[in-house]
Amino acid sequence: MSDDGGPAPIIQVTDVVKLYDDGLVRALDGVTMSAARGEFLAVTGPSGCGKSTLLQLIAALDRPTSGSIVVEGRDLREAGNDTYRRTGIGLVFQLHNLLPNLTALQNIEVAMFSNGRSHGEQRARARELLAAVGLGAKEKVTPPRLSGGERQRLAIARALANRPPILLADEPTGSLDSAAVDRVLELFREIREREGLTLLLVTHDAHVASTADRIVYMRDGKIVAAPEADVPAAAR
Amino acid sequence: MPFLALITRNVLTRRVRAGLTGLAVAIAIMTVVALGVLTHSLRRTAISVLQTGSADFTVAQKGVSDVLYSSLDNSQVARIKAEPGVQSIVGVLVAAIKLDSNHPFFLELGIPPDELAPFGVQILKGHPYTATATNEVMLGWRASQDLHKNVGDVINIDGNNFTVVGIYSVGNVFGDSASMLPLTTLQTNERKPGNVTLAFVKVTPGTNIDALRKRIEQANPEIATVRTQSEFGRVDRNLSLISAANVGITIMALIIGAIGVMNTMVMSVFERTREFGVLRAVGWTRARVLTLVMGEALLISFVGAMAGVVLGYLAIKGIQRVPELVGVFQPDYTSAIFARALGIAFGMAFLGALYPAIRAALLVPMEALRHE
Repeated sequence: MSDDGGPAPIIQVTDVVKLYDDGLVRALDGVTMSAARGEFLAVTGPSGCGKSTLLQLIAALDRPTSGSIVVEGRDLREAGNDTYRRTGIGLVFQLHNLLPNLTALQNIEVAMFSNGRSHGEQRARARELLAAVGLGAKEKVTPPRLSGGERQRLAIARALANRPPILLADEPTGSLDSAAVDRVLELFREIREREGLTLLLVTHDAHVASTADRIVYMRDGKIVAAPEADVPAAAR
Repeated sequence: MPFLALITRNVLTRRVRAGLTGLAVAIAIMTVVALGVLTHSLRRTAISVLQTGSADFTVAQKGVSDVLYSSLDNSQVARIKAEPGVQSIVGVLVAAIKLDSNHPFFLELGIPPDELAPFGVQILKGHPYTATATNEVMLGWRASQDLHKNVGDVINIDGNNFTVVGIYSVGNVFGDSASMLPLTTLQTNERKPGNVTLAFVKVTPGTNIDALRKRIEQANPEIATVRTQSEFGRVDRNLSLISAANVGITIMALIIGAIGVMNTMVMSVFERTREFGVLRAVGWTRARVLTLVMGEALLISFVGAMAGVVLGYLAIKGIQRVPELVGVFQPDYTSAIFARALGIAFGMAFLGALYPAIRAALLVPMEALRHE
C-alpha cells in the first residue's frame, strides 16, 4: 500500500540525486515521483532537464548518487540488475539501438537469451511481436534497410520480448516524422490495452506527452509544477 | 536463435578481419604442426637406433651432438660386462652412409656373428656372415625388399662389393631397413678399430635395472645409459636442441597468435561498445557478454587451427622433398601433435580474448550506450 492508502506504486522514486563530473553537473536534484500500475506517465521538459537521466536510473542502466528507486518492491540499489533489465522492464531508445548485422527477427531473439524458453518458443514469440508491430513481412530484413518508423516499431517489439510489466521509452518519437509518430503512439495504445503494462515515456514533444494519463514536468533536474501554458484551460 | 549462431554471425560480419586473424593463427599452428612432426619424427628415427637390439637399456657416450658420433672402446664395454647383474652386452658399431640418391641415409650395423642371437636377430633366409668375412653382409628384410636384393646377390656399399648371405629381422622398422656385417670389417672400413657406437645390455632376471644403470654411470662418468625416449637427449644433444627449439618456437607461436587475436578482439570490442551496451541494457549478464567475445575468438582460432593443420601437413610434404632429408625423415603424424596444435589454438584464443572479453563484460551499460 502507498502512503495515502491506495495501491502501492509500481515505480517509486524517492529523493534521487545524480551527479556527474565529480559533482560539477547535477543532473537530478532530489527527484521524487511514482507511477501506478498500468499507468501511462509522460515525463517532459526542456533538453538537459534530467528526464532521460531519470529514465536511465529507473532502467538500472546507471545508479543514483543518492536516493532510492524501488520498482515492484525491489530496490535497484541492490546488486545484480540483469534479470530486472531482462524481464522487469522493456526499453525503447530514441536511436533504436538495434544491432545492424542481425535481422529484425534476430534482434528480438537476442533479448530473449537466458529467459528459460526454448529456441522454438523464442522464435514464435519474436514472430508474434513482429506481426503485432506490423513488421511480420520483414523478419529477415536488417535494420539499415528499414525506415525510421519501422526501426522504432522493431525496437518496441524487442522491448516487449520478455513480457515486461513496465515499458520505458526515451524519446521514442524524437527522430520520426509525424505519420510515424502517430503510428508509434497508436502502437503504444494497443500494447497497453493488450498487455496491460505500465508505460513511462520521456519526451520533449508536448503532443506526445498529451496522450499520457499523467504528465510529470522537469526542469534543472527537479520535478516542477506544470507550466501555465500546459495546464488545460478548464483546470486554471 | 542459438547462441552459437550469433557467435558465427558476428564473426562473419567482419569477414576480412576475422580471415586475417585466422590466417595468423593458421601460420602459427602450421609452424607448430610442422616442427612438431619434424622433431617427433627425427626423434623417433634416432631412438629406433637405440631400440634396435632386444636390450633392457642402451649405453652410449655422454653428451655427443649426434648419437651416431658416440664412441665406446673395448675396455669400457668390458667394464660394463663385469658389473654384477649384467647378463650380456653387445657392442655395435653403427655407420650411416649414402647408398644412392634414393637411399641417402643407409645404416650399417657391425656386430660379431656370435652376438646376433643375444642382440635379437632372427635369420629369415640364408645364414649369418662369418666373423672375419670382409665381403659378406646381411640385409634386413625391409632393406632386401627395398633394394631388390636377395641371398646370393652382390651389393655395393660405400665402394665395396658385398655378397648378401642372409636376410634378417630384428622386429623394428629401423633395424629391418638396415644392413649387418662383421664388427671387425666395419671397424676396419670406418677406421675405428676397437670401437663401437652403442652397447646393448641385457640384465639377469630380478636385477634392479635403474640401480644397475646408476652404478654403471657412477663408475664410468663419460657414458650415459638410456632406457626411455625421454632420456634420449642425454646421448644426442642435437635432438635435445631441436626439441628445445621446438618448444621455444611453439611458445613464440602461441604468444604471436595470442597477440594477433587480442588485437582483433580489442578492436572489435572497442568498435562494438554500443552493441554491448544494448545487450547489457536488454538484460544480458556480464558472463554472457564475456562468453560471446570468448566464443568469437575461439571460433576464429578453431578455424585458423584447422587451416594451420592442413598447411602444416603440406609443409611436411614439402620438407620431405628436400634432398638432404629424403630417406632420413619419415613423417610420423601422431594425435598428440594435433591435440597440442588445437590446445595452442585454444590457448591463443583464451589469452588473446581474455582482456577484451573482460573489458566488454565490465562496460557500464549507460556509458556504453553513449559511446559513438
